[in-house]
Amino acid sequence: MARLVSRWHNAAAMHWTDAIVESLKSHDVWLIPYVPDAIGWQVLSKLEQDPAFHTVPVAREEEAIAVAAGAYAAGKRAAVFVQSSGFGNTINSLAQLAVSHKIPVPVFVGMRGGLGEFNPVQIPSAHPIPGFLDAMNIQHFAPINETDVTSYVDGALELSFASRMPVAVLLYSQLVGAKRATS
Amino acid sequence: MLRPDGIRALLERVTDEPIIANLGSATFDLYHAQQRDANFYTWGAMGMVSSIGLGVALAAPEKKVYVIDGDGSLLMNLGSLSTIARQNPKNLVHIVMDNQQWAETGGQPTHTSTGTDLAEIARGSGIARVVRVSSLEDFEDALDSAIREEGPWCIVADIEEQGHGARPPVSVEENLLRLRRTFTG
Ligand SMILES: Cc1ncc(C[n+]2csc(CCOP(=O)(O)OP(=O)(O)O)c2C)c(N)n1
Ligand SMILES: [Mg+2]
Repeated sequence: MARLVSRWHNAAAMHWTDAIVESLKSHDVWLIPYVPDAIGWQVLSKLEQDPAFHTVPVAREEEAIAVAAGAYAAGKRAAVFVQSSGFGNTINSLAQLAVSHKIPVPVFVGMRGGLGEFNPVQIPSAHPIPGFLDAMNIQHFAPINETDVTSYVDGALELSFASRMPVAVLLYSQLVGAKRATS
Repeated sequence: MLRPDGIRALLERVTDEPIIANLGSATFDLYHAQQRDANFYTWGAMGMVSSIGLGVALAAPEKKVYVIDGDGSLLMNLGSLSTIARQNPKNLVHIVMDNQQWAETGGQPTHTSTGTDLAEIARGSGIARVVRVSSLEDFEDALDSAIREEGPWCIVADIEEQGHGARPPVSVEENLLRLRRTFTG
């Protein structure tokens, strides 16, 4: 019987942030439009220092998708970082640019509102996101263990660029730790 | 000044440079003026043309990149002006066709009809080169300057609305890929 060998096996786990940086690099992602959050910033602060990337802080999340779409139209690859609280702000450009035109935009979402959340208003904006992505036919993946990050992110990026569709990587507190009210 | 005249003036001055057109009137008028692979006709994502243009401009710094925006649409994405100013792309030319109305939805007056000045907002956002014009002649002069000199530019053109051509038969996916091929070959 034929045995399937996972291409996505990751023996030694890097820190989740380094794993994302390396995956983005190995998929030639260059432009990084973002609205910062405490989770995404752990990756973004590394991307900002790395000459392989050009980071673009934007004022509102829907801009980030549109900037990424523009870069793709010009032959370059982009990935977007937003917080779950601002995910809703992406819908105009996610639907009417990325999904409708089949533009591959990997979206990393710093997920609040789950385990360890101290801020009650984060919950109703984060909780519907997987269902919303399903309704829009956008695949989403959530690495929980550090050993899975490379395989999930490599896989999500490959899937996005091959299918020319947005794909979301949801970064939950199980992986990234819960934000403390005092920090 | 009329939007189709402004669009023709722009088309006379470009070869293969991308033009990103706002949903509705700008998309329709651009299509009817001249079909070219480097035209990106948007059909939605209202407000986003300047952000798309920024992405193109950053990815292709060797080419001038033109955006044809509308007043109602830019009012929906004013933060984009600040984002553009911060990135400071020398090659981006952001044209706003200000007819003081949401023409596409029936001509309801926008906030520019009651005193909001988009050129002042662009200036206040930190855009390097901002001009406001109301005649075709001044618009052409502004375009010539924007072609000669580094930007980013924001050209706010006061226009009279006289309607636009029929809805063109464009496949959005095909349009995107054609534009992309002008860069990737
Ligand atoms: C997000 C969103 N909100 C509302 C609409 C409806 N809509 C379509 S065109 C338009 C008006 C656009 O106004 P403007 O940018 O000034 O362009 P004009 O029609 O005047 O050329 C509106 C409100 C939409 N398409 N998308
Ligand atoms: Mg208008």
